[in-house]
Amino acid sequence: MSHRTFFFVVLGLVLVSLGLTKAIENEYYFFAGYVILQYIVLATAWNILGGFTGYVNFGSAGFFAAGAYTTVAVVKWVDLPLLALIPLSGIVCGLIGLATGYLTLRLRGVYFAIATLALAIVLETIIANWEHVGGAAGAFVIRPKEVMFFDSYVEFLFWTMSLLAAIAVFAARYIQHSRFGRGLAAIRDDEGVAESMGVPTLKLKLMSTTISGALMGLAGAPFVYYVTYIDPPSAFNLEYAVNAVAMPMIGGPTSWLGPVIGAVLLGGAQQIATVTISSELNLLIVGIMLVVFVIVAPDGIVGLVRRLFSKDPRA
Amino acid sequence: MQQRRIFGGTRRFFFGAMLAAFALVSIGPAVQAEDDPIRIGFGMALTGALAGAGKAALISIEIWRDDINAAGGLLGRPVELVFYDDQTNPAKVPGIYTKLINIDRVDLIVSGYGSATITPAIPIAMNYDMVFMSLFGLASNEEFGYDRYFQILPAGPEPRIEWSRGFFEVAMRADPKPTTVALVGADAEFPRNALIGARANAEAAGLEIVYDETYPPTTVDFSPVIRKIQSVNPDVVYVASYPPDSAGIVRSVTELGLEAKLFGGGMVGVQFASLMEALGPQLNGIVNYDFWVPEPTLNFPGINAFLEKYQAIAEDAGVDPLGYYLPPFAYANMQILAEAVEATGGLDQDQIADYIRSNEFETVVGDVSFGANGEWAKSRMLMVQYQGIEDQSLEQFTEAGTRVVLYPEDWQSGKLIAPYSDAK
Repeated sequence: MSHRTFFFVVLGLVLVSLGLTKAIENEYYFFAGYVILQYIVLATAWNILGGFTGYVNFGSAGFFAAGAYTTVAVVKWVDLPLLALIPLSGIVCGLIGLATGYLTLRLRGVYFAIATLALAIVLETIIANWEHVGGAAGAFVIRPKEVMFFDSYVEFLFWTMSLLAAIAVFAARYIQHSRFGRGLAAIRDDEGVAESMGVPTLKLKLMSTTISGALMGLAGAPFVYYVTYIDPPSAFNLEYAVNAVAMPMIGGPTSWLGPVIGAVLLGGAQQIATVTISSELNLLIVGIMLVVFVIVAPDGIVGLVRRLFSKDPRA
Repeated sequence: MQQRRIFGGTRRFFFGAMLAAFALVSIGPAVQAEDDPIRIGFGMALTGALAGAGKAALISIEIWRDDINAAGGLLGRPVELVFYDDQTNPAKVPGIYTKLINIDRVDLIVSGYGSATITPAIPIAMNYDMVFMSLFGLASNEEFGYDRYFQILPAGPEPRIEWSRGFFEVAMRADPKPTTVALVGADAEFPRNALIGARANAEAAGLEIVYDETYPPTTVDFSPVIRKIQSVNPDVVYVASYPPDSAGIVRSVTELGLEAKLFGGGMVGVQFASLMEALGPQLNGIVNYDFWVPEPTLNFPGINAFLEKYQAIAEDAGVDPLGYYLPPFAYANMQILAEAVEATGGLDQDQIADYIRSNEFETVVGDVSFGANGEWAKSRMLMVQYQGIEDQSLEQFTEAGTRVVLYPEDWQSGKLIAPYSDAK
């Protein structure tokens, strides 16, 4: 499928989600759908660095929270509409991603992963001591009473997140099939060889951390309007970091489709578990699925299907 | 790793995935008939950081359900609870409450435990115009100003100020009058709020603040903090802390021997059976806030019957075996809601809210009436002093006289022993 056709498919899906806000009365589906879409963005963002480039980021919660807190910081200062705040969160988190890239890309493998984990902790400490955004006590953000065109603010949030998911997925697919994406794949496979073959590895890695960070920021930006109250432990929740890694791993980290499948499966399962099993145990589902997939299908569902359908016996 | 071509059936998978998503979220709408039970929905912290208190609250609400069903139900209909574990995670709360309202079709909602998970539910309650009974939300409604929100923590309309008002009132009663105060607390949500109030009260009382600092919430060894306080030699020491730090501070103060007229104030945790048992006689002399203690002045109708039922279950359930701090209030919250439903003769949220707003309720935690912002119209934060604790047994705390009420005067049950070192 060409990028052009794919663009229209994605655009079509955004329009479908807009139609859903008119067709479905029950708000619960929008709350649940929002979370799943949010994970599509987060997992896709993680995958650009983790799956495509091979640099494992355990600090996703930090980027997510930075996106959310950018919204809070700006709203407490000037009252901008959400659609204007989202790009700001993207820019801020893109810059954080770029800075992370500069600071840590000399590190590889497990040391890079540790550095990203540390980044999240540093960010959380900063936020917890920044009075303007509520510090450790947390901050309230009141949803606007009315929003144009939509019947309720939640429908608007759902649609906004579907738009962000569309942007993230389109970007990931575009990158995967571009010269840039092939460069990232070369870095993932062997950074030394890639460099000696003329791949500008530093530049590509910085672009990768920036885009990945920016997309995570987009996922976090509307969060505070979803919960209306934000404090550091909930924004920097381990759940985001774990899911951002687990979803692409389960779906398939080498393709743009992997994180989407992973997010829908795992995110959906968690939503159901919250109201059925109803306990923190639902994070156990993630853990078990991750272990199973790492052993049975290290390339995730996408890799598994490819292997089953491939005519090439070696694959 | 080898770079492979994308598998040809990508599109099919994409649509399949979308279909799966819709299938996943459209499970199980419930049906409802007229003479069905009255369903009350809530999310509760049953796992995560606040699980201990959340479980105790759930037990209390279940006791209330059994009590009311034994007495013939609500409006002649049995009461059924529908609840989910919010995992002490605010992000779970909006989904849980919309599911309760839209899919489980509950008739009434109440909150879970703690500000962080109460606040995200308020906009949902507002959206559906539902009465929302809140269990220990600290100033949660301040920004929303929702007129159907009612909160059972007895801190009154200005919780920050009221939290320490009694402490300073008691301090100024001491003879000779204190002149200096040290304020210390954790760098976290509740302690920060409590310190803001304490500062205001200290200034109003004309005390000179000679020490005003916070410590990181992860602090384990408090002797540097206490030594620093000792070096400025304050008459009064006000502490705002969470349970682990409360224990650490009490131990340090005992070891280092603090010379102050009054010590305590806003320490969370020393009201819990686990800490009372662990600290035992080290608690003697501390003046601290509380919500309910087994003193004769606070012997409200129904409280003993409730505690008896609670304590019978608590030990096996692994929650606070005494249950003085939170459980009676979880029960009282339900009593208020039930009385309003019975009095208005239906489930009209508008009438129920009106009734709660304009009436006084007799509950197991005393008479409750609500003010304009849904908080208690008048604060009943108690200041109690730990006295005559001999060992580390739990039974002594079930007797009157181990935690005497000093403030407010209406509930006073004993006299202050000062200075602090005399009561030790």
